[in-house]
Amino acid sequence: MARDLAIDLGTANTLVYMKGRGIVLNEPSVIALNRQTGEVLATGREAWQMIGRTPGYIVAVRPLRGGAITDFEITERMIRLLLQRVGVSRFTRPKVVICVPSAITEVERRAVTDAARRAGAADANLIEQPMAAAIGADLPIDEPVGNMVIDIGGGTSETAVISLGGIVALEAVRVGSFDIDAAIQNYVRREHGIAIGERTAEEIKVAIGSADPTHDENQAEVRGRDLMTGLPKTVLLTPEEVRFAIEDVISSIVSSVIRCLSKAPPELSQDFLVRGMYLVGGGGLLRGLAERIERETEVPVKMSNVPLEAVVLGAGHVIEHYEALKGMFMGARR
Amino acid sequence: MSVVVIIVVIVVVAVVLGLGLRSRTANDGVDSFRRQIDALSPEARKPTIDQVKSAERLDDDDRADGDDSAP
Repeated sequence: MARDLAIDLGTANTLVYMKGRGIVLNEPSVIALNRQTGEVLATGREAWQMIGRTPGYIVAVRPLRGGAITDFEITERMIRLLLQRVGVSRFTRPKVVICVPSAITEVERRAVTDAARRAGAADANLIEQPMAAAIGADLPIDEPVGNMVIDIGGGTSETAVISLGGIVALEAVRVGSFDIDAAIQNYVRREHGIAIGERTAEEIKVAIGSADPTHDENQAEVRGRDLMTGLPKTVLLTPEEVRFAIEDVISSIVSSVIRCLSKAPPELSQDFLVRGMYLVGGGGLLRGLAERIERETEVPVKMSNVPLEAVVLGAGHVIEHYEALKGMFMGARR
Repeated sequence: MSVVVIIVVIVVVAVVLGLGLRSRTANDGVDSFRRQIDALSPEARKPTIDQVKSAERLDDDDRADGDDSAP
């Protein structure tokens, strides 16, 4: 008998929660393929290490972009391999709950459930990421009070107001931490004339990236390929430059939080001033982001204890109480 | 006469069944909402959170053991 699963199918990472066992898999959402034969060569961490470093016949790709499936066939193969790794076979078909961005279209929704069913799931249901995040972050969403959660993922940023187990107001933008990396890549190319890869841009973001000035402002040495000469070159990058480079992305995220606040009913709005908003997701770990949102909204912002695992934990809780919580699945209320 | 009695009986049974179903449907909504709210309570969520925390503790212990054995 298969144990039921909850999957946080993120643009950056995929996490799997197994009923009664907890989180059993946490890997980058990357798959490496042989370009000629289409054969899968690696998935997860192993494939992630190949990004930008592969010979011509290998391609390491992220099949999800902006929280949406960009390549249905590759996503299906990735889900099938993930399920195999956690023990799902053709004889053990579990029920699966998958977390998806709330703004996905009907077509994308069907693509995800179809991919999971073809990959071996007996039944596949979807739950909105902010709802799962609020459950996983242990917010008191069973009470008639305003709970606000900001989930900043790799490809999407979602803000939701939740009360009595339901979403009251929601705002989502297809902008996330990958857009921050891309903005850094573009800036370094434009201003310093060197080309850097996706992984280097991410390392810069982690090392010196911030949304608001911080106490320890260090410069970073960045190595890339000179666009003029084609030779390797090193330049120095300051935190101010990175802040300037990512400003548009940060503004877009902060604006969506403000729009969500303005949609909330007044009775719940007053709760936020006391209880604050909760930040989850890998993007929320960017230094100074909580302070920046707090400064612009004048509402306290708190970091969840489990920012990276909150979504899958929430979905895991749903799978543990499947019968009682199946009314929370996307489409069940409509 | 007997036809009228049969019709009356059928109507009465239908009304009783209808009322029963209606009240059951109304109660179903209340019950399922109650179940959902109960399942979202901090007490209900505690085992899920604790399960993951204890798994993390085990992972940390394993890592610490690994560090100890490192040269």
